[in-house]
Amino acid sequence: MNVPDDRRYTNDHEWARADDAGRVRVGITDYAQDALGDVVFVQLPEVGATVAAGGSLGEVESTKSVSDIYAPISGVVAEINAELVDAPQRLNDDPYGDGWICVIEAADAAALDGLLDAAAYSALIAD
Amino acid sequence: MTLRRSPLDGAHRALGAKLVPFGGWDMPLAYPAGTLAEHRACRTGAVVFDVSHLGTVRATGGDALDALQAAFTNDLHKIGPGQAQYTHLLDDDGSVLDDIIVWWVDESDFHVMPNASNTDRVTAVVPGDDVTASRAILAVQGPDARARLAAVSADAAAVPRFAVRRVDVLGADCVVAGTGYTGEDGVEIAVPAAAAVDVWQAVLDAAVVPAGLGARDTLRLEAGLPLHGHELGPGITPLQAGLSWVVAWGKGEFRGRAALEAERERGVSRRLRGLEVDGRQPPRAGYPVLSGDEVIGEVTSGNFSPTLERGIALAFVPPTVDIGDTVAVDARGKPMPARIVKTPFVSRPAT
Repeated sequence: MNVPDDRRYTNDHEWARADDAGRVRVGITDYAQDALGDVVFVQLPEVGATVAAGGSLGEVESTKSVSDIYAPISGVVAEINAELVDAPQRLNDDPYGDGWICVIEAADAAALDGLLDAAAYSALIAD
Repeated sequence: MTLRRSPLDGAHRALGAKLVPFGGWDMPLAYPAGTLAEHRACRTGAVVFDVSHLGTVRATGGDALDALQAAFTNDLHKIGPGQAQYTHLLDDDGSVLDDIIVWWVDESDFHVMPNASNTDRVTAVVPGDDVTASRAILAVQGPDARARLAAVSADAAAVPRFAVRRVDVLGADCVVAGTGYTGEDGVEIAVPAAAAVDVWQAVLDAAVVPAGLGARDTLRLEAGLPLHGHELGPGITPLQAGLSWVVAWGKGEFRGRAALEAERERGVSRRLRGLEVDGRQPPRAGYPVLSGDEVIGEVTSGNFSPTLERGIALAFVPPTVDIGDTVAVDARGKPMPARIVKTPFVSRPAT
């Protein structure tokens, strides 16, 4: 399972990657998309919505189940990946790239340091 | 409980299938291509499912026909040896204990095929032997199923719709029926367990794509076919499920008949209908169906339709709700507008 080491991870299988401006791009992991199977629908958050770390950010539905997406970090949703509305399979095809879900303007980008690094997340999904 | 494994278990694992527990069996959910690709392969080409988890109860002898006639709702006198029939086993209250395919193989040799976990319910009412472990069942389905299967066995590929034949396939004594659960043309092949891997591999070599339970479910849903435990089960009668054609009123006694007659007399309290939403979000089993703010029914099965590229569902609604009516589905607090539509949602082109 692919776990790039340029970002942080949650126990709920989201990834988060900060840019220099303190904006945090968010998605679900390769492990998550594989476990879900074919994604057919994504409920995206609204731009401008305030989200709290661990709170609901949206939903991903596959042919077999519905899963919540949780915010890895507190802040305000600055951008969403609207391409996912008509092409949700991008979550399967490229979970760390074209399958990104949203960008959060983080209240405190340093809070990312409290999330799992690639090694810790790899250990989590190896269990 | 230990999960039962199909004779093809090793073949599935070698292909990289994801296996899941289903009716007490460990069966493929999907192969690496994934559910959507497998679904589309069945609508446009040919796929093969391992459906060994279906039970086979073999009823033989002079009493077998009478026993089946008394147990099930449909009338075997509508068909004869060499044909297959869909039928129901009811409880005394008219509930569908199981939906079943009967393969009438020879004069006094019936293969009764219940759902995975319901085999004991059949052996309780039909004197016969549970031969499930002795064979695998391959369902080869799709518009190209027969053409591709012909490379393996021309005789198997030529078994007509709802016919049942004994066929030699690669030297193995098989029973082949023109049946399936996808809304496509195709056949189902009962193969002796020892020959199952060879026949499976030969079918794959004939450019037939393996498909799992995920695609089987989206295919049967598009075809508007019921699944026991969802559209059929405790408290659900064939009349509510819109399957009154499975009930042969003219044939005499069968279990559950009195309750069913009473229901026919007073009219059903709810009816299974198809519904379609505008977007891709799947209505799911258990979601309430709304008319305005009022809950009027419940979704029994729903998913994304890969063919229509929108959410579709089967749901119980009041009998007054008709084709073309607008309702809503409560998706975890968010109402999705939906239309009542005819089923099947997807039909194969007339040939």
